[in-house]
Amino acid sequence: MTVFKTFWKIVNRYKFTVILYTVILIIFATANMQTSDTNTNFVASKPDILIINNDKDEKITENLINYIKNNSNIVDIKKDDEAINDALFYRDVNYIIYIPENYGNDFLDGKNPEIKIKSTGDYNSSLAEMMLSRYVKVANIYLNQTKNEDELISKINDTLKENTKTEVTSKLNTDELSRAVFYYNFLNYSIIAGLVYIICLILSTFREEKIRKRTIISSMNYKKHNMQLLISNGILSVILWIFYVILSFVLIGDVMFTSHGLILIANSFVFSICALCIAFLIANIVSNKNAINGIVNVVGLGSSFLCGAFVPVEWLPDTVLKIAHILPSYWFIQNNEIVKTLEEVNMENLKPIFVNMFIVLAFSILYIIIANIISKKKRKIA
Amino acid sequence: MEKVIEVKNLTKKYKDLMAIDNLSFDVKEGEILGLLGPNGSGKSTTINCILSLLNYMSGSIKIFGKDMKPDSYDIKSKIGVIFQDVAVFDELTVYENIDYFCGLYIKDKKTRKKYIEDAIELVGIGEFTKFRPKQLSGGLLRRLNIACGIAHKPKLIFLDEPTVAVDPQSRNNILDGIKKLRDLGATIVYTTHYMEEVELLCDRIIILDKGKILAEGTSDTLKGLAKVEEKVTVEVNNLDEKYINEIKNLSVVDNIKYDSNILTIYYKEGKNNLVELMEILKKNNVKYNKIYSERPTLNDVFLELTGKELRD
Repeated sequence: MTVFKTFWKIVNRYKFTVILYTVILIIFATANMQTSDTNTNFVASKPDILIINNDKDEKITENLINYIKNNSNIVDIKKDDEAINDALFYRDVNYIIYIPENYGNDFLDGKNPEIKIKSTGDYNSSLAEMMLSRYVKVANIYLNQTKNEDELISKINDTLKENTKTEVTSKLNTDELSRAVFYYNFLNYSIIAGLVYIICLILSTFREEKIRKRTIISSMNYKKHNMQLLISNGILSVILWIFYVILSFVLIGDVMFTSHGLILIANSFVFSICALCIAFLIANIVSNKNAINGIVNVVGLGSSFLCGAFVPVEWLPDTVLKIAHILPSYWFIQNNEIVKTLEEVNMENLKPIFVNMFIVLAFSILYIIIANIISKKKRKIA
Repeated sequence: MEKVIEVKNLTKKYKDLMAIDNLSFDVKEGEILGLLGPNGSGKSTTINCILSLLNYMSGSIKIFGKDMKPDSYDIKSKIGVIFQDVAVFDELTVYENIDYFCGLYIKDKKTRKKYIEDAIELVGIGEFTKFRPKQLSGGLLRRLNIACGIAHKPKLIFLDEPTVAVDPQSRNNILDGIKKLRDLGATIVYTTHYMEEVELLCDRIIILDKGKILAEGTSDTLKGLAKVEEKVTVEVNNLDEKYINEIKNLSVVDNIKYDSNILTIYYKEGKNNLVELMEILKKNNVKYNKIYSERPTLNDVFLELTGKELRD
């Protein structure tokens, strides 16, 4: 247990760094959550939506447009890309719906045509997202029962009227959920900057060439030594993760006790495992303690900006998002975003979340393999 | 005496550079063996090969009668190593550092506590146990480095240039500590390029250069290899060339140098040379400030064997 005990003595020496990063997290998260959407009145928070309709005057399309019009503020702006992006940036519009050509006919033919969207990623855009997906889902359900367009529209409208009432009662949770997602997106930076930095610092101390040499020539099996280090790092990661989770309960509140909150927590746990692997990789590549701070900042800030931890994913250019796919942060944040639009927690809805978690875990395995290869190369005696 | 280390035909090459060239030697139980040589002579490489920290091309290494391999943990438990670079945790105190490195060998808490106290006493850092390494002077840091390497009471100790860049007080303390370790029964391999330390400490010396053994034996045996038996140095101002020639023509004089008012005379034989020289100076009415005689040093031996100084 010598290595284990020494690990915690060294952690104790770095406690002020841990506290500093935690305080930064609290300040930034709180400040940003305050400035994010905090509307409490459902009527006042109707999303601003722009509809770009490329379809002919089909009844079913018109019904969709009417439904959206009745539940949102329809915005009229110039329909070119630049004007639309500007409107999104300045929040003149929360959500843009592109109805494709021949949508109505394709829908009635059961082709399930895709409606493209653009959004600000905020609370109001989540409402719009839910509104649209609800309409499409309900319409799809009744399409299986009747092919008569008028009958279909009538059934859709009856069902949506009932559901609208439910929407009002769930308003508060949606608002809190939006804040929770913001907090957990921000956690990408906190985990990398805090957890990865501390673990890298401690690991680099143990892996310093002269210390490593002294350890190798000792009678302690080097594998046992590494195992003790791994366990210690695992425990430290879990402690910091628990702390961040407790903080989310304090800062956000009730929504964290719901199944949505639970998914966010599970997702952050998977990401913490990945962060631990990132720390192992960085500690194996970099031995200079002074360089670690810089590298962790580049990784933390870089992944946070690229993957949408600080700014909504919708604002990011496609090329940036394509690059972001190679980072685990992207899949972590994607999961948080999915939780925001999740109406109902069931196995089918959870599938994409599990897939993303699996991708994050695959990244972790990849990092560990690379870290081991580097470690073996370094340990290989000349 | 039992052989603690047996090195046979050890060869190690770094690309085109032959670092160790067919090296063979033994270390006997309870002795202090000095590996003496200038920087780059292969001392540290030899130690790293013995400790399985480096691969070698050919040869064999046995410690305590067993082949030494990277996973020879039973052998490693009896070895202590003090490297040239101080290897301690900056984040831990003096006591915690010794505790950690001792803990890699000794599991029992009580025994470890006693061993740590013994190590602290041996190197004389009792007043600094709560200090962090960065708060210690260079000399104290070296002493801590030694304490970390020997706290588990190893039977075989490797000291790789432990006194480099150390103040005289700490150097004396370190050398006294090494003698104490030998008195306690440890076998020591000591590498350095400081010949005075080797002469003072070592029972046997191996002089290395370019990975080869140039000479081996006790300090006196090695000095016997030098053709000069006595070296006399005189501080004298503006000495006339004719007096230098008079001294040079003496049959016992091997060589003479006069540079910066310092006259150095190398004698082939070492009896009454100082008296005879003083008589010559008096007879010629030459005034001098200082005059002293020295036996040849290991540096002189090295100079004769290689044509270069140990500290080149």
